[in-house]
Amino acid sequence: MNPLIPIMVILPIACALLLNLLHKKDKTIKILAILVALTIPIIPLIASYGTYFFGGYAPLAENSAIAQNLPAFITSSALNVFHPAITYNFDSAQKVMVFILGLIAFLAIFTSLNETKKPSGVYAFLMFMGTAAVSAILLTDDIFNLYVFFEIAAITQVGIIVASKVKNNYETALKYMILGSVAAPLLLLGIALLLGLTGSVNITDIIYSLKNGVVDPQNPVLLMACGLIVFGWLYGSGLPPFHTIKSAVYSKALPHGAALLQAFSVFTFVALGIIILRIFSFLPFAQIVIIVISLLAMILGITMALMQNDFKRIIGYLAVGELGYIGIGLGLGTALGITAGLFQAINEAIITAFLFIGFGTVLYKTSISDTRKLGGLMIENPKVALLVLLAGLAMAGVPPLNAFQSKLQLIQASISAGLPELGIIMILISIVTFMTFMKAFYTIFMRPKPVELEINDKNIPKATIISMLVLLAVCIILGLFPQIATDLLQVLANSLVI
Amino acid sequence: MNIYDVVLKRIREIQTKTEEQEPLTNISASSTLAAEITLISSLLIALVMLRLVNTVLMIVIVLAVFVVALTFMPIMPRLKREQNDSFNSMIFFVIVALGIIITLFYWGNLNV
Repeated sequence: MNPLIPIMVILPIACALLLNLLHKKDKTIKILAILVALTIPIIPLIASYGTYFFGGYAPLAENSAIAQNLPAFITSSALNVFHPAITYNFDSAQKVMVFILGLIAFLAIFTSLNETKKPSGVYAFLMFMGTAAVSAILLTDDIFNLYVFFEIAAITQVGIIVASKVKNNYETALKYMILGSVAAPLLLLGIALLLGLTGSVNITDIIYSLKNGVVDPQNPVLLMACGLIVFGWLYGSGLPPFHTIKSAVYSKALPHGAALLQAFSVFTFVALGIIILRIFSFLPFAQIVIIVISLLAMILGITMALMQNDFKRIIGYLAVGELGYIGIGLGLGTALGITAGLFQAINEAIITAFLFIGFGTVLYKTSISDTRKLGGLMIENPKVALLVLLAGLAMAGVPPLNAFQSKLQLIQASISAGLPELGIIMILISIVTFMTFMKAFYTIFMRPKPVELEINDKNIPKATIISMLVLLAVCIILGLFPQIATDLLQVLANSLVI
Repeated sequence: MNIYDVVLKRIREIQTKTEEQEPLTNISASSTLAAEITLISSLLIALVMLRLVNTVLMIVIVLAVFVVALTFMPIMPRLKREQNDSFNSMIFFVIVALGIIITLFYWGNLNV
């Protein structure tokens, strides 16, 4: 077993708990948080692939020492291959996703600690705890363990909004929590139904039970379980009908918090989407549902983004719309489609974080997020304006930036799968995304400064600029050399082909 | 009355209803128009995929949706009003979505 696999989850949790204890010791919090945040993306890079068993041991089939003392009716049954422990899998796809999540967490924490004079141990606690929860969601092969961390991630998201001190943040946090209290128990009910049918919460075991006739795949209870898990998936990732509350959540967080929150949503979306594909791909309707929901997310996300005046809300809706691209890739069910979808997930997490941090500079200088009251900020800081423009171009899929590659692959995959209509819609939505971004960019940076607008004299922290430059570098590297990510993601995609 | 005037009239009506004091600008009007066109065109293109089920069904539904969309134009201001931050409308759509998902999974998988 590889001890670095659990460290990816345990380290941020341990750091979160320690930071909470160190509340008000600002200097210590800063040093500790930055050191640990820097370590988080490094661990997946140095860890070797493998599995880790929590609170148990490897399946009997791989564990001859235990198996030899057991009666034959156990070793010759399905129990021989079942996992009697909480299993964490670390493979090439997890490597790249945990790395990107860690990188965004580091940059968000780094920016937040430098933009805030008195860094709160509680705020940093929430950011680390959320990162640990989403890392666990990506790594775990145990659906109940996933649910536990899903709830922790939801609670930390509520906490990040509450700790943000943005107007009306409490109301949004409360709404998100109440909606979660409807959706999350239904997800748990879906998991309970799966457990009742298959006798296991290990995803590999559930798939074994379905493929080897232990459970009837057409059992109506299984269909109900699939519906409930899909519903939980919608809540966790902010797909319709949760797109309104999710975009509100992003807009009520501080920009660095929102950058991290959207990464949580993207990776929760991917992790649950993969699980739905793995368990329920034999259901003909599962694929159609994923594609329809993704299309809805794209269309509603982009059209609602166009109608907004608050730039944080615009990015929030754009982020929801971009989730649709990932879903279409997964829903196509081909190796190319799934690889492109996963690649788009990584790109979206990076670009949206870039946009939130970039537009966050506007908030830092003016404390205003209403685009109708802003203007003329390009004269104030042309370099930051250029970086924000590049982030917007990346989101729209302009070459040579990263989303160009993933969106092109998605369009190719949809044509190869015999659904060119999806390709046409993706091109259309990309064009409108560019238009939406340019509308916000023009009103904030390019049009004349309104007379009543007050811009403070504070310099934008260097940490913010460094974070934006790092994200830009990742966008360019993945745009020029997409195979760095796609080669790693392809292994998982091949195993998911429907 | 051309489509641009229809959109402007509708936005003014909604602003009056929601007691918004902000003036109607070129940017907000053109955004609404762009969103309207995006919504209808994306929907129609998506419906073309029904060709995989039945070509005649696809033609009938695309034409029907096109006529309905033209009749009820502009749709975006109504959609924006529905997709607001009110908790009541959020929970309403959540429950509707849950019902649709569970029904479709049952119907879709047992009948396809």
